[in-house]
Amino acid sequence: MHAARVRSSLRILGIVSVLLLGLLAAAPAQAQAPTLTPDQEARANALAKQLICPVCPGETLDQSQATIAKQMKAIIRERLAAGQSDRQIVDYFVSVYGESVLAQPPRSGFGLAAWLVPPVVVVAGLVTALVVLRNLRRGRAAATPPPAAESPEALRPYLDMVDDELARDGDEPRDGAPPVRK
Amino acid sequence: MAYLGTGALLIATVLAVYGTVGGVLAVRRRDGALAVSAQRAAYMTVPAMGLAVLALVIAFIDHDFSIRYVAEHSNRAMPRIYTWVAFYAGNEGSLLFVAFALAAFAGISMAMVTRRIGSQRTYANAVLMALLTFFLIVLLTLANPFEQLAVAAVDGQGINPLLKHPGMFIHPPLIMTGLISVSVPFALAMGALLSGRIDDDWVDAGRVWGLVAWAMLGTGLLLGAWWAYTILGWGGYWAWDPVENAALMPWLGLTAFIHSIMVQKRRGMFRMWNIALINISFALGNFGVFINRGGPVPSVHSFGASTLGWVFLAFLGVTLVLSFGAFFWRMGLLKSARPLESMLSREASFLVNNLLLLAIAFITMFGVVFPLIAQLFVGRELSIARPYYDAVNGPLLLALLALMGIGPLLPWRTASWAAVRKVVVVPGAAAGAVLAVLLIAGMRGVPALVGFGVSAFVAASVLQEWARGTVARSRQARVALPIAFTQLMAANRPRYGGYVVHLAIVLLAFGIVGSSFFDLEKDVVLRTGERAALGDYEVEFVRVDTTNFADRTERVATVNVYRDGQFLTSMGAWQGFYPSFQMISTRSAIRSTPKEDLYVLFSEVQSDGQSAVFRILVNPLVWWMWLSGPVLILGTVIALWPARERAMAYVPSPARRPGDPQPGGAA
Repeated sequence: MHAARVRSSLRILGIVSVLLLGLLAAAPAQAQAPTLTPDQEARANALAKQLICPVCPGETLDQSQATIAKQMKAIIRERLAAGQSDRQIVDYFVSVYGESVLAQPPRSGFGLAAWLVPPVVVVAGLVTALVVLRNLRRGRAAATPPPAAESPEALRPYLDMVDDELARDGDEPRDGAPPVRK
Repeated sequence: MAYLGTGALLIATVLAVYGTVGGVLAVRRRDGALAVSAQRAAYMTVPAMGLAVLALVIAFIDHDFSIRYVAEHSNRAMPRIYTWVAFYAGNEGSLLFVAFALAAFAGISMAMVTRRIGSQRTYANAVLMALLTFFLIVLLTLANPFEQLAVAAVDGQGINPLLKHPGMFIHPPLIMTGLISVSVPFALAMGALLSGRIDDDWVDAGRVWGLVAWAMLGTGLLLGAWWAYTILGWGGYWAWDPVENAALMPWLGLTAFIHSIMVQKRRGMFRMWNIALINISFALGNFGVFINRGGPVPSVHSFGASTLGWVFLAFLGVTLVLSFGAFFWRMGLLKSARPLESMLSREASFLVNNLLLLAIAFITMFGVVFPLIAQLFVGRELSIARPYYDAVNGPLLLALLALMGIGPLLPWRTASWAAVRKVVVVPGAAAGAVLAVLLIAGMRGVPALVGFGVSAFVAASVLQEWARGTVARSRQARVALPIAFTQLMAANRPRYGGYVVHLAIVLLAFGIVGSSFFDLEKDVVLRTGERAALGDYEVEFVRVDTTNFADRTERVATVNVYRDGQFLTSMGAWQGFYPSFQMISTRSAIRSTPKEDLYVLFSEVQSDGQSAVFRILVNPLVWWMWLSGPVLILGTVIALWPARERAMAYVPSPARRPGDPQPGGAA
């Protein structure tokens, strides 16, 4: 449940916030700090979605209610106001907290694997599905009656009547019993 | 109470073991009497488990703090009604809940499956009892909710304040019962495999119980999203948190299953595939339980460090090996009754649907375990959070949505391109019109445009199906349109119920696209009387009221909301501090309209006592997401509603394999 983990992360927070008391005093009104241009505001929000709160694994800064997340957001704003680029700000947090502060793995080194696996899975799945479908089709000549002649009716299975007709000439019962009509 | 509860669990264990062993022996020895007796033992686990549940409830109501679980999850100040929530607030209680739900589902499902499927049913029952035995042994050895304290506590620790939300009365039990009820279709499939009678007898019952599990998980997920939205205070509803993912994955597997099972029901195809699918869904469910019970992945939902996770990992491994062992053992018997006729057919579209759903499930699982892989094998600390899932799963979800519009338009067996072109005209035009309007209105962003366009296509295709069917029926039967519409719905419930569910998914997609791509947010510090502007709104901070209660300190920040300078409404954003938990719980003020939600979170009062920190969001179209919940339930009920002539599709019938009584339909 959310609760237990929030509780435990709050406990960690307690420790962290003691360690960061100095920082806390330095940033009394975090969100107020520098006034940003609308463009910078948008970048601040975007950056908050790309960085993870170090004491609450899995939560990005914009999701987290933890004090440290608020402080990190304040730092983002200060650095944006100071004219730093997004890249510089992200690099700064990586240098402080390590790579795990990034909400998505880098597109290089081992992190690249995280980005390659999904498309490979989809392509492999597609290929498998195609092969299976082709095999299923090949068996076609073996046992089926030819498909019913194409008529507009056959393409409009909106009526029970039509469905029943389909059931009668298409779904011949496997065990030779007469089809049961509703 | 403690002795009564433990005793009831012991009795249930004996019954479950007897149900398992007796069932297997009964089929082996062709002993009908033993089979009946094993089945009865299974039914008797329901009252036995009920007694254990009752014992714990009474212990809670009596404030019996000699029981550790009661002392840790309730206190005297707690209102009686929260007993229901406290019951499953911890590991032991939620396991007891799960085991009771398993016993109940086993009993109900086995009572509804008729004798006709004989040895299949006996095996299915044995499988369910084996699963129950596992849970009971865990309950008795590792997580006994009736464990007593050496010295009874004077008062309990109380209930976790985050759980004090209406959603918490339904969300956890729904997720838990949803996860465990996958056992029923799984057991039915196993029954078919073990008995070697791989005809389609298990299919109807498997479909019904697959749908039940699917609907419970789906509703549970939506309620969880609603809870997160109102209480977690970040303005979102889905974080791709490992435990959310853990509940989503089996739901995706089941979604694939309830579609693909229609192909077997209707066409006798995909027999192997359906059994594999339900095995996968069951394994994904177990993976979910593993993550949930203190697995190695950090998550908002973790119960803290617990060895239980590893027990469930072992359980996952064993069931996976056994179920696929049985699958490969019987593979030769699982031939399709007929081959595929065309790539352009509903059968083929269902296969693509399955592929996409499983791909999303797999990628999600990969995302959950990837940080672990990176740490174990390369020693690097990497994280995977929301932006990653949005990037990799987003396009697949859109593709799935598009398929939902096209698939139902394809007929069974085979279609010609000309015919397909004819049915996509109206939905295509609808999507085009929506796109044109949005472009003229100045919307750019490709993902959002595609999302809205595809949503419009699906909605139009469903409406077109209804309209054509209704008109055709009304002409043929010479009845008024409304009557024709009801008759149409009633005549083919799996299909038209399925369409209602599809509409629910469109509503959901509409809300998700709107709130993901067009949300506004702002963190502000306001002095009393000061205003902050966001979008069309202005929010004015009026005052904070503080009230002290026995267990908490409540603060309510009142804000006035203006739009275009006009006073709109006054709202209260709530937060409570619970000293015994060292925890702050928030309840955001939300003004919800179909167009957009104004969301105000009150996060703290500044040290000067005069100003407060707020987080303000404008979330467009979220309202439609919550609407999708009731629509989804309605659609499922229609799809599940038993046909009039035959109480359930698997009631005995003179024909061993009846003709298809409910043709067609995307379930």
